[in-house]
Amino acid sequence: MTYTIPIGPYHPALEEPYKVSVQCGGDTVQTVSVEVGYSFRGIELLAQRTGWVQDVTLIERVCGICSHVHTTTFCRAVETLAAIEVPARAVYIRTILCELERMHSHLLWAGLATEYIGFQSLFMEVSNLREGVMDLLESISGNRVHYGMNRIGGVNRDITDAGPIVAQLRAMGEIVKRDIVPSLMESRTAMARMRGVGVLTPAQANEWGVVGPIARASAIATDVRSDLPYLAYPELGFTIVTQPAGDVLARVSVRVLELLESIRLACEALVRLPPGPLRAFEGMPGIPPGEATAFTEAPRGEVIYYVASDGGDTPARVHIRTPSFVNIPALEAMTMGQQFGDVALIQASVDPCLSCTDR
Amino acid sequence: MTSPDTAALAAIAPSAAIENRRDGVWITAADLDVEAMAREMTRLGFRLSTMTGLAHADGETALIYHFAAAGRTVHFKTFTRGATLPSIAPIVRAASWIEREIHDFFNVLFSGHPNLAPLLRPAELRAGFFRDAAEVPLQLTRSRTEPS
Repeated sequence: MTYTIPIGPYHPALEEPYKVSVQCGGDTVQTVSVEVGYSFRGIELLAQRTGWVQDVTLIERVCGICSHVHTTTFCRAVETLAAIEVPARAVYIRTILCELERMHSHLLWAGLATEYIGFQSLFMEVSNLREGVMDLLESISGNRVHYGMNRIGGVNRDITDAGPIVAQLRAMGEIVKRDIVPSLMESRTAMARMRGVGVLTPAQANEWGVVGPIARASAIATDVRSDLPYLAYPELGFTIVTQPAGDVLARVSVRVLELLESIRLACEALVRLPPGPLRAFEGMPGIPPGEATAFTEAPRGEVIYYVASDGGDTPARVHIRTPSFVNIPALEAMTMGQQFGDVALIQASVDPCLSCTDR
Repeated sequence: MTSPDTAALAAIAPSAAIENRRDGVWITAADLDVEAMAREMTRLGFRLSTMTGLAHADGETALIYHFAAAGRTVHFKTFTRGATLPSIAPIVRAASWIEREIHDFFNVLFSGHPNLAPLLRPAELRAGFFRDAAEVPLQLTRSRTEPS
């Protein structure tokens, strides 16, 4: 018997509003269609009516999780357009925030994934660890989310005492190695629930053009931090994490191992934090006519900003391409032929951000 | 950008202006054959990252196709012809949602698209509402809509 089940747009299995319509034959998924747009806010249009400085605040609201990477990418596009050289200390502070943000995003996702597979004790452990990262972000920026650190030409706040942050990050790294890695990558509970589920082959990953941890879990070694090096990554060195299997377990493993790489990168940047000014200029920026793009690796993958200026007080055009926009459609390939009971877990393994997708 | 790449890119759009900028190679060609471009860029190992639409006052839209590969980005700019361009979604699957979004925002008709259904457009707005908003901003921003 064939039947269609609509999941969403508002459903306990979904973190944010979108609709997955699943047609099943028995318990096996036959077709899948995805609908988005339930949180559309028109931020690109708003950005064209808002001044360059205010746009940084607006664009921070594209996403509540990877807000810093959005302002970083927007600022980098504007700085490319206007040929603004950002001071080295600001570059390092942006890098540190990007990696702390990746940690809290991956930990939030790991917490949700463990809850989906009924691993409540690990959920508590992961959430506790994430709180530590949020505390660090608050100690640096004053905010748990929407840090307000970026400005065109640099950053707004300094990191004055790196030592305690490095110590805390190293302690977190030990907890990740001791508790999180074995629990999510080796425990019987996790293996039984996630191995072989929701496979995306390397050929399918290329066909759908997925990015970030989804691509890397399908053996595609792509990461903007190494493909198109930016910020302090060329100086810090960077190791891409890949997994060959393409299943939910591989997507979990990539993110867990990336936590360790993010801790290393953040610690390295904090230790090497160069002296100097925080911004290239004071006051309002003058943005000449022109156009530019910037590519950045967000926690979920490649983010792209296109910015055009006609020399006025507001951008002539801002286009935002978020990683979830290309990762969500690949749900179709991941769920076809799978058991209906695994759909919630498979969609969660994509870590879909609808706030970003709809923007 | 190595020379074989430059030659291959130049061959895609023989009449194009090619610029090396801080953010990659920019190729502008009003008569660009977008389907041939999509096939050739895929063959060269580039991934379509996204496309950007830019509204022109005459009703046409500039379209920029942003491609990325390890260490390289290439941006092709062309223009709609009668508000229409061939869809590259049958060649590059990732273009499907992108073209649907551009249709929502700028009312570009992508001929040959397998399903040009609304993606992000609220039901009460017509296709091309970014263009509309530029022309009648107050009407759009101040008129209240109720949930259906």
